[in-house]
Amino acid sequence: MKKMGLDRRSFISFLAGGTGGILFTPVVWKLLDDASIWSQNWPWIPRLSYGALDRKSALCKLGPDAYGVEVLTVGGRPVTAYGNEKDPASKGGVCPLGAASVQLLYSPARVKSPMKKDGASMVPISWDEGLSILKDKIKVAGDKVAMISGDETGTAAEVLAALVAGLGSDQYFLMPSEAGPAVRAWQNVFGGDGQPGYDFENSDCILVLGADICQAWGPGVGKSCMDAKATGGSLLYAGPVENGTAAVADEWIPCMPGTEAILALGVANALIQAGRSADTMGMSEFSDFVRKGFSPAQVEAKTGVQAAKIKDLSERLLRAKKPVVVIGSEIGQGLSTFEAAAGMSLNFLLGRINQEGGVRIVPWAEPVFEGAPRRDAMLAKDLVAFLEGVAVGRNEAPAVMLVHEANPAYALPGGQSMANSLRKAGFLVSFSSFMDETAAMADLILPASYSFEGFDDSYTPYGSAKGTYLATAPVIGPVNDTKTAGDIILAVADELGLGLGLESFEEVLQARAENLGADWSGLLEDGEAWTSERTAFQFFLSMWKVPFDADLGKKGADGQLVLAPVVKLNIGSAKMATPPFNVLTISERELQGQDCFVAMNKATAAMIGVDQGSMVKIASQSGEMKGRVQIFEGVVPGAVSACLGFGHTAWDDFSRGKGTNACDVLLVQGLDSQGGASFGNPQITVSRA
Amino acid sequence: MSKKKSCVVLPFVAGFVASLFLGWWGFPQLLYSEKTQPLQFSHKVHVEDQAMSCEDCHFYREDGSYAGLPTTESCASCHEAPMGDDPAEIEFVEKYVNEGDYKEVPWYVYQKQPDNVYFSHIAHDGVDCTACHPDMAFNETLPVYYENRLTKYSKQTMKMWECERCHAENGASNACFVCHK
Repeated sequence: MKKMGLDRRSFISFLAGGTGGILFTPVVWKLLDDASIWSQNWPWIPRLSYGALDRKSALCKLGPDAYGVEVLTVGGRPVTAYGNEKDPASKGGVCPLGAASVQLLYSPARVKSPMKKDGASMVPISWDEGLSILKDKIKVAGDKVAMISGDETGTAAEVLAALVAGLGSDQYFLMPSEAGPAVRAWQNVFGGDGQPGYDFENSDCILVLGADICQAWGPGVGKSCMDAKATGGSLLYAGPVENGTAAVADEWIPCMPGTEAILALGVANALIQAGRSADTMGMSEFSDFVRKGFSPAQVEAKTGVQAAKIKDLSERLLRAKKPVVVIGSEIGQGLSTFEAAAGMSLNFLLGRINQEGGVRIVPWAEPVFEGAPRRDAMLAKDLVAFLEGVAVGRNEAPAVMLVHEANPAYALPGGQSMANSLRKAGFLVSFSSFMDETAAMADLILPASYSFEGFDDSYTPYGSAKGTYLATAPVIGPVNDTKTAGDIILAVADELGLGLGLESFEEVLQARAENLGADWSGLLEDGEAWTSERTAFQFFLSMWKVPFDADLGKKGADGQLVLAPVVKLNIGSAKMATPPFNVLTISERELQGQDCFVAMNKATAAMIGVDQGSMVKIASQSGEMKGRVQIFEGVVPGAVSACLGFGHTAWDDFSRGKGTNACDVLLVQGLDSQGGASFGNPQITVSRA
Repeated sequence: MSKKKSCVVLPFVAGFVASLFLGWWGFPQLLYSEKTQPLQFSHKVHVEDQAMSCEDCHFYREDGSYAGLPTTESCASCHEAPMGDDPAEIEFVEKYVNEGDYKEVPWYVYQKQPDNVYFSHIAHDGVDCTACHPDMAFNETLPVYYENRLTKYSKQTMKMWECERCHAENGASNACFVCHK
């Protein structure tokens, strides 16, 4: 009998049994399954946070407009922004910047703490140190303190202006906008009071001259225009580029860049010829002025709009029961006082002042602080004119310049020369939430919280046909070491012993709401906008009470190429670079690699001798930019369209170094007698680069 | 000299059985770590003694979304201060209710689904809760939580095939977008 023994064969048999056995267990299959799940669960993958859904009212002030949004929060964390249907400026819509507004809370360009300049770099400091530095600088500067704010509708700008006024300075400036020239025109040229607004919703014929109202005046304006169209009204757009407003208009009337005011006066002439008149002083002088300088033939030669079309426009306005005319700049800034007045004169002739479906004049909100300037006093001051004066030595550079919610180093005409004017300030302070170009060159950054992180408000954005007020509480606490701009300024005022009288910005807004008669808790808790149908009382209106501007008829077609800049909010605005969330919305016809595009029609390209994709250099007396040619028949012959918003040198990887800044080419073409600077459409030369 | 005959069958069987044993008993021991909840909680005290219903804590919000586990703030509506001398309750009040703005208890959730799965409770409102969740109503203590060492998910997290089988059996769609938004 052979003995049984454990040997190599037995061991192999054991292993074979074990291997076979393991296949009848979950080990292999479970490990395979779990390994695949494990490979999806890297620790850097963000996790969702769950919780109750809520909607909190907030404000979007990232573009030239200001309107209410509702922020969806999950477990208290902001997730996305919707329009606020209770806000007339929003009507439930959001602009492309508003759509990206929540993600901007976590933008890589956020300034994370106070910083001061240390040689060529910025170093983080504490709030105590930052406030102490600012206090010392202001003490030494005395009344040589100036401010720039881009928050045209917010009370934070008024708090800052109250500080500056308390120091004995009257150098409180707002960034250029549509409101500045419109208000200067209304007050100085027509002798009115209050802020012009437009009742688009109830109009049956809206003639838009230049202004891209359906894109840049708040989502509510676009909706109002569509409502007017839906009830049989018409929307007519005259301008050099088939932009967002032209795209939805019933008719686009191509017009040479910067000549919309000439077209307005041509239409005024036709209306007068048809027997229209305003029963006010100055009418006969105005009539003489337009008859001599703005005949159909003269206007056609300047604007490129045929005389028959000018007559047609006047007839359509005359036929309409509730026409309204609005003039503005394609880029929301750069119009002169007299250009704004030229547009408004049509509403006078049509008898549309303070009428339903016409122009409605909204009263100003009285300042919360005694001695602080009212908004019209701030709008009366032209920042571009001031900084140009600093550049040429006409104005003294301030010892301390305070910049709030604005990026003047990037967004003003002739960018480099304006940045140089800012550099002449003895000490530049930025309250920016983002590392923009102005913050990057500042001596001190005291970062303001993002709008969603603190109390904020907005009183009647320009264009609104009724008085509106929105106030919002924080949606979320500060993500970084920041403070609400109003609270920073109050703290500085307190340190300086100026004592503005209110302890916190929340109290300031409560006082504003009380002044207006708005329900504070309703504003905060329900997101309800306070609205008022009241119109401002006009003491003495006249038709053009100041001398007519000799420059009004000078622009136009004279064989020179003219720049027609445009704004696309998905790319950015004067205060906001391209949000990371919006990068994918920029098409290859706008930006390819690092090159932006400039648009011109085929005839213009042939005249210059360039083709689709050619790299060209565009130069004005102010500066130059580069871009690739995009052939686009939606640009009038003789004009080259360039999109603002490219060519950032600060911010983050999503916008820095992409394209070139068209603001560098914008040229200040002179100051009008009412203190306004015109700079929208410079003459340019275009050459292959 | 007689040659030993190799033993083949027995080692094969031994290996087979050992693998079965290790695979069915040992492997789960290795794969899952045992975790105890950060606090003890008695469902029985709340349901039986206090006559609370499941929906008092596990409810649908007004918008139809499911609240899941109650927040510390909602627990604090009764337990702002200790109601008795139970050490777990005292610990809850001290460590979570009194900690800042109601610190949430980091409960382990037995059936937590991955983020890439969208599960709507209200869409399954007609299905009995215990079809997916163990009936906890009369539990004195919270069961041990078994965490998969590889995937970090709970041992009781429902797998996709289970969802699909139920959908198929009940005529519900098994299209990808139904659960993966």
